[in-house]
Amino acid sequence: MDPTTFKDYLFLIPLLPFAGAAINGILGRRLGLRAVHLIALGSVLGSFVLSVAGFLALVSIKSPEARRVVSVLYQWILIAGQTGSFHINVAFLLDPLSSVMCLVVTGVGFFIHVYSVGYMHGDPGRARYFAYLNLFTFSMLVLVLADNLLLMFVGWEGVGLCSYLLIGFWFSELDNARAGMKAFIANRVGDFGFFVGLMLLFWTLYVSSGQAVGSLSYGELKGAAPLLLDAEPILGLSVPTIICLALFMGATGKSAQIPLYVWLPDAMAGPTPVSALIHAATMVTAGVFMIVRLNFLYLLSPVALSVVATVGALTALYAASIAITQNDIKKVLAYSTISQLGYMFLGVGVSAFAAGIFHLVTHAFFKALLFLGAGSLIHAAHTNDIRKMGGLRAHMPATFFTFMVAFLAIAGIPPFAGFFSKDEILFSTFNAHLAAPGLGKLLWLVGLMGAGLTAFYMTRLVIVTFFGEFRGGESAEEKLHESPRTMTGPLVILAVLSAVGGFIGLPAVTHLPNLIGGFLEPVVALKGGAASHGSHSAALELGLMAVSVAAAAAGIYLGWYLYHKRPELPGALRERFKNLHAVVYNKYYVDEAYDRLFVRPVIAISRGTGRFDLGVIDWVVNALARATERISAGIGWEDLKVVDGLVNAIADAVKYWGYHTRRLTTGKVNHYLYSVVLGLFVLYLLVLIT
Amino acid sequence: MNSLTTYLLIAAMLFTIGLFGVLRRRSLIAMLISIELMLNAASINFLAFTKFVSPDPATGQIYVLLIMGVAAAEVAIALAIIISLYRWLRTIDIERADRLRG
Amino acid sequence: MDLVQIARSNLEGFRYAGTEVALCVLIVALLLSGVILPFRKNRRLFLIISMLGLALAMTASLKQPGAGKGVRYFADLFLWDSFSVFFKLFFVAAAAFTILMAQMNREVEDYEFNECCLLVVSVTLGMVLLASSVDLLMIYLAFETMSLLSYLLVGIRFREARGGEAALKYVLYGAFTSGVMLFGFSLVYGLAGTTDIMEIGRILNSAHMAGQNRALFVLMVLFFLAGLLFKTASFPFHIWCPDVYEGAPTPVTAFLSVGPKAAGFAVFIRLFYTLFAREVGDQGFAAIEQVDWPAIVAVISAITMSLGNLSAIHQDNVKRLLAYSSIAHAGYLLMGIACLDKLGLEAVAFYLVVYLFMNLGAFAVVTAVNNGEGGEDIRFYRGLSARAPMACVAMAVFLFSLIGIPPFAGFVGKVFLFSAVILKKYYWLAIVAAINTVISLYYYVRLIKAMFIDQAEVSFEPRVSGVSYAVIGALALPTLVLGVYWQPLAAFIESIF
Repeated sequence: MDPTTFKDYLFLIPLLPFAGAAINGILGRRLGLRAVHLIALGSVLGSFVLSVAGFLALVSIKSPEARRVVSVLYQWILIAGQTGSFHINVAFLLDPLSSVMCLVVTGVGFFIHVYSVGYMHGDPGRARYFAYLNLFTFSMLVLVLADNLLLMFVGWEGVGLCSYLLIGFWFSELDNARAGMKAFIANRVGDFGFFVGLMLLFWTLYVSSGQAVGSLSYGELKGAAPLLLDAEPILGLSVPTIICLALFMGATGKSAQIPLYVWLPDAMAGPTPVSALIHAATMVTAGVFMIVRLNFLYLLSPVALSVVATVGALTALYAASIAITQNDIKKVLAYSTISQLGYMFLGVGVSAFAAGIFHLVTHAFFKALLFLGAGSLIHAAHTNDIRKMGGLRAHMPATFFTFMVAFLAIAGIPPFAGFFSKDEILFSTFNAHLAAPGLGKLLWLVGLMGAGLTAFYMTRLVIVTFFGEFRGGESAEEKLHESPRTMTGPLVILAVLSAVGGFIGLPAVTHLPNLIGGFLEPVVALKGGAASHGSHSAALELGLMAVSVAAAAAGIYLGWYLYHKRPELPGALRERFKNLHAVVYNKYYVDEAYDRLFVRPVIAISRGTGRFDLGVIDWVVNALARATERISAGIGWEDLKVVDGLVNAIADAVKYWGYHTRRLTTGKVNHYLYSVVLGLFVLYLLVLIT
Repeated sequence: MNSLTTYLLIAAMLFTIGLFGVLRRRSLIAMLISIELMLNAASINFLAFTKFVSPDPATGQIYVLLIMGVAAAEVAIALAIIISLYRWLRTIDIERADRLRG
Repeated sequence: MDLVQIARSNLEGFRYAGTEVALCVLIVALLLSGVILPFRKNRRLFLIISMLGLALAMTASLKQPGAGKGVRYFADLFLWDSFSVFFKLFFVAAAAFTILMAQMNREVEDYEFNECCLLVVSVTLGMVLLASSVDLLMIYLAFETMSLLSYLLVGIRFREARGGEAALKYVLYGAFTSGVMLFGFSLVYGLAGTTDIMEIGRILNSAHMAGQNRALFVLMVLFFLAGLLFKTASFPFHIWCPDVYEGAPTPVTAFLSVGPKAAGFAVFIRLFYTLFAREVGDQGFAAIEQVDWPAIVAVISAITMSLGNLSAIHQDNVKRLLAYSSIAHAGYLLMGIACLDKLGLEAVAFYLVVYLFMNLGAFAVVTAVNNGEGGEDIRFYRGLSARAPMACVAMAVFLFSLIGIPPFAGFVGKVFLFSAVILKKYYWLAIVAAINTVISLYYYVRLIKAMFIDQAEVSFEPRVSGVSYAVIGALALPTLVLGVYWQPLAAFIESIF
């Protein structure tokens, strides 16, 4: 399609799912099942088709630099100041980055919608479920397509809300509700940082510099960003660093990185397709997307980038180590997601933005596949516990084969998709020049260990669930069955994508074009071209590749040896390293630590303030009375009857007051009236202080 | 001693007495009387300022007349509320009105 | 000025007093129709009369003054400017929603409804007068009109002990603080020798006053604050608020939490920005040298919001919870006043409008739940979403907006307030407010959780009538729309100051 024509249809990409959500949300109960499915699936399919059309329209533009389509819907905010006017539009931007993201969101989203038809079969809340799912798709598309930071923030909050709603979808179970709550609060902590970053950015660019930046749109921000370097440092940190770190705090919340990752494993309480779509393929990658989108900002601050890379690498290793000990199949996959997101952050942290997005795409394929496969298993075995599965290979061949593809992809075995993207990230890390010398090599080592662990825990998962004997009891074994076609269909398609998806980003050593890297280049153009290509010897690249394949192979072999060849060994090892296992199994007790450090003190403080009013007032009254008595004794005014009476009156009042507050009787008018007088004293003290 | 200061001192004393009265007394009626004392203190201030400061001799006096009106309305309303509450409490001791708390 | 001239100027004044006249006519109509025996219990009739009257008042206030400083009328006691027009519209809208809520509410009996309408309209008259007064005397009278009648409004259910007790507390606390404020008025009058606040402002801010009479200024500011902080339910004069809000019928509580509170802010701005500050440049003001009151207001604001939010956490009574929430919001609004520039005032006005919708909305849902066999305790809200889904969704919208979550209007309001504070470099205040927003999340979400997640504890059938849904919807719509499209309102408010 012609790009200029397409501009007029751009808004339909997010709007279609919104319309679907509105119809299903309002009329869902009255519409028939078929109509609900048709609307939900049709709207997402429609925006997928439009996304493809948008992608083709972009490609049809010859010059890569000109691949930008901006569509302004209406003016949202207008503030006319003295130095210039400030306005923010509701506008959508289609460029290579948002186009790729749109394809992933609507494409993977569509398959998950199809899968949901089978998975949610017979659930009474289906209309509500699809309405939420469509609403989520809408919010995610707004996030991705937004042309300015504020609109992106709207989408950012929107996906959080939908995630919260979907985690708590089966709200009759208390744990699910708690998990929804936890996700909500962890995200609020992160969003606070995001918002601070946003405000600081706005403030330094628009207000403090006196420079009238017209809007927060990316195009203008990119032009104005160098101005940030002139701003005065705050607390020894340059302004871009602070902004980037604050925004990254938002990313750690949304994308479940250290230290705000705690909500994601609990979020697995929601329906499995939701885990696949929101908590694996799309929403949790929003943080990575945000950093890539603002790459021009992050490039101003090597410190912030190094922090991003370090947090990413540590999360990758840390979460992988927890995944080894978990027995709930979805929890294993959740920690795996956290770990893989860590790789993406590692990638963008070392300025390999295209590699980060590449891994985001391949991860969307294979992790969605893993989750959907897990859903299929849970559907059949009616449990999340892998210890009660086993030998499912024979009963569910389609699920098994597709799961194996995803397994090979995530483990990093060539030529499956995960290999290429993860390898590109590790290669870029090895060659990265970060804020501290040698940090790149160190992070590479951490990443490599994480890759080995990944292969190990995935092997464990595959062997325990698919091989050996079924351990769920005879009655359950009879009911084992392959899932319906609406579920296996998406599995097969995602398996194909996971198998061949890696070829869109071939490494430089093959001398074949890196399609995704080239496509994204205008958005993430680096100083001196993409850092990971060309400048290093092919031997080094091949060598590193071999090392990472070896790590993966070692992980797989170890997993196979421990869980298949010598199945008695893991138990013995667990016995031997009982304490270590307990620590890892309990996720390093981070949840407990957060509870002690943050949750309980706040509750304790709030309990105290319930009585704060009267407690403090009591204390002040007593102090005043004592002071008055001392002063009057010192001056020798006791003889004066009037003063004496007054002092006595006050003293009486104080005793009277104290007597009652000691019994903590509240709700008495005369106490309230005392508070007026005390309030005046407080105000007077304030006058003295200020 | 026929100066502005005298009047102001008297007003300040009246105000303070009223203030302490509201705080000290437990009888609702006595508390209302004390509040009236505070309003009267303000009235004395207005009259004194009119006499010694203001270019327009009428303003303060009009003020005082209106304050008296407001005070009467206030007492009427407060008494109505006290009487209706008395039906429940059978007392005018404010200590007893503490069902709402926390 | 001879008598004819005075009469003529007063007659001319009626051109600007359309709202006041309409409200007076409405009061008389309600009084007369209320004493006719056959109509005594006819809710619908009084509702129609009130709505017609308020619509009339609304149209009368729509006339906009042009640019400039506005017109003085009624012997210069009142000023007709955009500021007063804005607040007149605000108060009339609040009254209309209150009467609609009272109509659908079972707490107000049929034979009390006429009085309820009458009192709400009278309090509104007081507030409208207050918004346009520029004379100390008139401000005091309007303030007392509003206060005295709202004491009665709280005690309208005198057959119930809780209502009587709440009214008693309100009247004693209110009379006490307004007495203190009046004493402050007398001091100002003594210092300036006039009661016209524009004139007083000029004198107090003049050069020869600078640096003198510090003690007197301190007393004045303190005594003024006593009255104003009481009306806005701010620290340290907030203690009455939860008791009164709990004891009053829910529509009355809703009205108090919006109407008189906003009136308190209106007169706060009018008094402090005229008497104790002078305009400097195009956008800013400068406070008098004697007392640094903006700093005091900033501290009060921080304490108020913290106290309100922390105390709300353990409340099980929803009305009491919303009372503490309204204390916290008074704290947020005070931030804008502490800013001492037009941006801050605009933020206050904008937030007030948003607050009108979201807070009245929350109370409208509470009213709806109170009907039937429900109550105010949080256990009646557990699992309510299964039985009254639309009401619960609306409640969630209002509560999310009160927290300040996008895309709801409360978020936009908070953004305006926060940016005003940050631009004024009150960083610590912005941080305190941000922390408070997080704390407030806890108790609002607790209520949302009760509605959507918890199991039902008490089984009762909520009777939410069509009118209730209409009112709730009418309040939810602006809460949503202003969250994404606030430009016209922001532009209108910008023209006020």
